[in-house]
Amino acid sequence: MRRFRFGVTARIVAVLVVLGVAVFPLYWMFVTALSSNSDLFADQPRLTPDLGQFGVFVDALAEGKAAGWLLNSLIIAVGTMVLSVGLGIPLGYALSRFSFWGKAVLTVVLLFTQMLPEALMVVPLFALFRRFELLDSLTGLVLVNSAFVLPIVALILKGAIDGIPKELEEAARADGARPFTTLTRINVPLIAPSIAATAVIAFFHAWNEYVFAVTFIFNPDLQPASVGIANFIGELGTPIQTVMAVAFLFTLPAVAFYLLVQKYVVSGMTAGAVKG
Amino acid sequence: MTVVEQTGAPKTTTPGRPRRRPSPLGSKWTPYLFLAPAALFILVFQAVPLVQEVYLSFTRTRLLNPTRSEWVGLDNFNRIFGDPEFHRTLLITVVYVITCVVVAIGAGLAVALLLNKKFRGRGVARALVTVPWAAPGIAVALIATWMLNAQYGIVNRFLDAVGLGVPGGAILDSSRYALPAVLATTIWQLFPFTSVVLLSALQSVPQDLNEAATVDGAGRWATFRAVTWQVIKPTVGLLALLMTIWSLRRFELIWLMTKGGPVGATETLVIDLYSQAFDSKELGSAAAIGMVGVVISLIVIIGSRLVARAVEKGEVR
Repeated sequence: MRRFRFGVTARIVAVLVVLGVAVFPLYWMFVTALSSNSDLFADQPRLTPDLGQFGVFVDALAEGKAAGWLLNSLIIAVGTMVLSVGLGIPLGYALSRFSFWGKAVLTVVLLFTQMLPEALMVVPLFALFRRFELLDSLTGLVLVNSAFVLPIVALILKGAIDGIPKELEEAARADGARPFTTLTRINVPLIAPSIAATAVIAFFHAWNEYVFAVTFIFNPDLQPASVGIANFIGELGTPIQTVMAVAFLFTLPAVAFYLLVQKYVVSGMTAGAVKG
Repeated sequence: MTVVEQTGAPKTTTPGRPRRRPSPLGSKWTPYLFLAPAALFILVFQAVPLVQEVYLSFTRTRLLNPTRSEWVGLDNFNRIFGDPEFHRTLLITVVYVITCVVVAIGAGLAVALLLNKKFRGRGVARALVTVPWAAPGIAVALIATWMLNAQYGIVNRFLDAVGLGVPGGAILDSSRYALPAVLATTIWQLFPFTSVVLLSALQSVPQDLNEAATVDGAGRWATFRAVTWQVIKPTVGLLALLMTIWSLRRFELIWLMTKGGPVGATETLVIDLYSQAFDSKELGSAAAIGMVGVVISLIVIIGSRLVARAVEKGEVR
C-alpha cells in the first residue's frame, strides 16, 4: 500500500515537471512583458507577472508598428488559408475518388515537396517573383505560402474523403448530380472538421512563415509580424517588455487555435506523411 | 483518432465490387479538372524552382548578377566536398538530426506513457503539454534567446544559483554550449508532437494483454517490450522519419538563435546554404549544398521504405 502511494506521488510530481517545462517559456514571455525595469534587472528576478504593468500590451499595439505587422500577418494568413483549402479540396477529391494517369507521380510529388527546405527554394523563387513583380507584395507571399502548405492540406483532405462511403455519392449521382455538385453538396459538409483543421494548419503556416517574408518584402509597412519580431532579436533599441508583449500577442492565437483542433491536426499530419 | 486508424483509412474501398471503367463519375477528363489548378500551382512554385536550383548547382552564379550563370559541371560539388568546413557542417547536421530524433522520441514516449495513466486533470495536462508545438518558431527563438541572455537570462540566473553557471554566461556565444542550447530549444518544441502521436498509438495497446503479461510474472520492462513496444513500433518508425526530415530542413530557429555561429558551431546544411547564398552571394555553391541535403533526405526516405518493407515481410524484427 505504501509503495502504491509513493508511485502516485512520483507520477504527480513527474506530470507537474513536464507541464512546467512545456509551459514555462511562454509563461516567462508573459512575465517579462509585465515586468517593471527595476524588476527586470534586479538581482532577484520577479517570477510572477506584475499585472499593474498591463498597459504594455496597449502601448505595444498603439505606439510601434506592431499593429500593422499583425494586420499584415492576418492578411497573408487568411489569403493562404482560403487559397490553399480552395485548391486542396478538389485536389484531395481527385486523389481520393478517381484513378487517372499520373496519379502515382502526383502523390510522390506531394510527399516529396514536404522535404524541401524553404531556404533552398528562396533563390529561384526570388527570380520568379522579380519577373512577375510579386516582390514587396502580400499577394506574392499568399501565393508562395499556399503552394508550400497545399500538399499537406490536400493529403489530409484526401484521407478524410477516403473515409466517406462511396454509396452516398452514388446515390446523388443516380439523381443526376454532376461531380462538382457531389463534391460541394455531399463530401464537403461531411469532411467539415478536416476542412477546419486544414484551414488552421494553412492559416498558421502563413502566420508563422519567416524565410519568404524576410527575403521578398523590403517595404517596412508590408512586413508581417514574424519578420518584425525576428528583427527584435539581438536589437537593443526597443524595451524588452514591448518586444515580449508583441511576441506574446503573436503567439497567443496560434496556441489557442491549435489547442482547439489539435486532435485533427496531429492525426492529419501523420496521415499525410504515412505514405512517405 | 489513432494513427493506425488513419493509415488504415485509405484501404476502405468497397470489397468484392468489380471496378467499373470508365469512371462512373464523369468523363475521363473529370479528375484533371479537379486537380489542374492545384497541380499548376505546385508546378510553378515548387517543381520549376527546384529544377532551376538543380541547374544552379552545376553553375557559378553570383547573387549580384544572377542572370549570368557559367556552367562549371561538378566544380561546386568537388569544392564543397574538399572543404574541411563543409565536413564539419555535415557532422554537425548529423549530430543535430540524430539528437533531435532520439531525444524527441525518447522524451515524447516517456511523456506519453506518463499521460496514458488515468488521473484527474489528464485532459488539461494533455492539452497544456502541446503548447510548445503550437508556438510559432519565431516566438520560440525570441524567448529562448532572452532566457539564455548572458546577463539577465533566467537560465543563467538559475544555473548560477545551483552552481553550474557557464563562465561569462554567454551560452549562445560559446562554441561548446551553443549547439546543446539550440538542440534543447528544438527538442522542447518537438516533444509535444511525438508524445501526442505516441499517446494515440498507445490507445491501441490491448490492456488485457498487458495485464496477462503482468499476471504471468513478467516485469515492467519485459511487458513493455513484449506488448507495448510491438504495438507502437510502426509509429516510432514514422516519427523517426518525420523528425529526420524536419530536422534536416529546420532553418529559422537555428538561424535566429545563432546564425550558425559561433564560428560555425551550429551550422547545419540549411544554415550553410542560406549563408552561402545571401552572405557569400554564391548561388551555385548554395544550390550544391542544398542538393546534398535533398539527396540525404531522399536516401533516408527510400531507406525507411525498404526497412519498413523488410519488417512487414518479417525479415527484420
